[in-house]
Amino acid sequence: MVYIIRVFLSICITLLVSCSQGQAEKESQMALIKTTNPNPTVTKKNYGQDNVEKIEREVESIDEIYDVAVVKGKEATLVVYKVKHMQRFRMKQIEKDLTKKLEEKYPKEQFTVSSDYKIFLEAVRLVERKDNGNLSDKQAEKRLNEIVKMTSDMK
Amino acid sequence: MLKGQQSWVFENRPMILATGVSGGPFEANGNLADDFDTLHEDLWMGMDSYEKAQKVLLEEAITTTLEKAGMDKEQIEFLFAGDLINQITPSSFAARTVQIPYFGLFGACSTSMEGLALASFVVNYKGARNVLTGASSHNAATEKQFRYPTEYGGQKPPTAQWTVTGAGVGLVTENVPGQQHPVTSSATIGKVIDMGLSDPFNMGGAMAPAAADTIMAHFRDMELDPSYYDLIITGDLGRIGQETTFELLTKSGLNIERNQFQDCGLLLYKDDQPVQSGASGAGCSAVVLYGHLLNQMKKGVYKRILVVATGALLSPLSFQQKESIPCIAHAVSIEMNEVGG
Amino acid sequence: MASKQKKMTPQQQKYQQLQQKHELKRPVLKNCIKAFFVGGLICVVGQAISYFYIYFFDFTEQSVGNPTVATMVFLSMLLTGFGVYDRLGQFAGAGSAVPVTGFGNAVISAAIEHRTEGFVLGVGGNMFKLAGSVILFGVFSAFVVALIKTLLGMWGVL
Repeated sequence: MVYIIRVFLSICITLLVSCSQGQAEKESQMALIKTTNPNPTVTKKNYGQDNVEKIEREVESIDEIYDVAVVKGKEATLVVYKVKHMQRFRMKQIEKDLTKKLEEKYPKEQFTVSSDYKIFLEAVRLVERKDNGNLSDKQAEKRLNEIVKMTSDMK
Repeated sequence: MLKGQQSWVFENRPMILATGVSGGPFEANGNLADDFDTLHEDLWMGMDSYEKAQKVLLEEAITTTLEKAGMDKEQIEFLFAGDLINQITPSSFAARTVQIPYFGLFGACSTSMEGLALASFVVNYKGARNVLTGASSHNAATEKQFRYPTEYGGQKPPTAQWTVTGAGVGLVTENVPGQQHPVTSSATIGKVIDMGLSDPFNMGGAMAPAAADTIMAHFRDMELDPSYYDLIITGDLGRIGQETTFELLTKSGLNIERNQFQDCGLLLYKDDQPVQSGASGAGCSAVVLYGHLLNQMKKGVYKRILVVATGALLSPLSFQQKESIPCIAHAVSIEMNEVGG
Repeated sequence: MASKQKKMTPQQQKYQQLQQKHELKRPVLKNCIKAFFVGGLICVVGQAISYFYIYFFDFTEQSVGNPTVATMVFLSMLLTGFGVYDRLGQFAGAGSAVPVTGFGNAVISAAIEHRTEGFVLGVGGNMFKLAGSVILFGVFSAFVVALIKTLLGMWGVL
């Protein structure tokens, strides 16, 4: 009996360990557990880095929110953030307020606002690969659109 | 001979010539493992269902008894047996195998003493020379019928009891004076008592009044004092039921001592086995009596004992329909044959 | 309960009072603490599994629930089959019964139990004898809640 459990557990651990290898990005591995605060990023230089940084500061100024990632592409602007633990009960309201605020301030941008961990993780990964130069502008744009599409699937 | 209201005296003192006791893996780890004749390592006992496994237990107990007595099954006139499973099929199927004329009994966990009382009565009045009587139960088969599936992770309360996997069979024969064997001297048949308890996880509490009633009836009918017996032992009342019975008895003025009052369900397992309040099941009193207790009597530890097997006469249906649990208890007094007497 | 008490004879009531004294009480506080920790531990495992799916597969926080539940049920089925889960249940009580693993345990334990009666009448017919009522009343209450929400939406309250 004990033997079976041990074998079973060791299989589980082996699986988990082997799966987590082959991940080049170090920072994004911990993205869900600790604060990452990735650089605000644009997929192409001339999309307006200043604007993106302003948006990021804007979002960070909200009390309930910490850890913000902003990625801007040709059309879409992805804003992902984490909500402080005890404020997570009001997550929907925060998202609504934030979207409204951003849309009023930057009427030209098309915002995708999300607090989903998965979207956050993917945004961090995107930023990281972009910063490391592993991703061309075109690839980054494509990935961004994929992530944006993922958020619309959720709703 | 009838004595008092509900008791029989067996003047011819039928003898328990031989016994056979079989058990499962949990009993093998228990307190009384040495008193079993056969013990199985596997709960399935090589069968493909637990009900068949229970049948095997009873068959083995019967075979062992016959071997020990040095008799063929053709020499046995009747078999009195019963158990807890639907329509007592394990007992009936075992009777099909051994081909002995058979009375199927149902008294829930009191079946062992019901069988012994009837067998003694029949032998006492020369209705038969050799009669087999026994009871069996199987933990998994009983749990399946009365409670949840065995592997279900429900929490049992501390009042719950553990159904014994085992069968005990005794061979009751005509007395041969001078032989060192236990004999049955009297029996008291109990009436059904219902104190309105309906928790199937607290059988001990439900059965206690029935046990107390039968014990008091026995001493009243037999005009005896409890000190006549070295040991008064109940079937499967468990911790709670036994304490309660003892209080009922002392309150009614019976002069009974705490250390002469024991319970089969509390003897069978070790303290570290997870049985909550103790053992239960039709096999419980049968394996403890035909195994441990009679061995102790032959060793001379006890001279006279009163075995009171208690049964809860409920069905899975009746407690789901919110009926209370009616209970019954039968008592048989067993003494050592007087040498040269 | 009150109506039940009335039907009892004085003798029965007297006995029940006497019996209550000897009856072992469930250690409620101890059970609650055990249930809290074991239940919490199961939830930690569930959270780890859902993070696993988020990291390595394309599941969002919203959609990761389904594969996580499936995995947890699968794990509890394995543990049930190995005969571990009933012991855990005796220790943890509600801690192991309330999470979805308890549901998996209820299904598979019934299936194992009735294997001897064959696949159709035994396993098929009895598999949901414990979990069936969970499904029935779960679906029914979901229906009622959805109905209320729809009606409120129609009246413009929500």
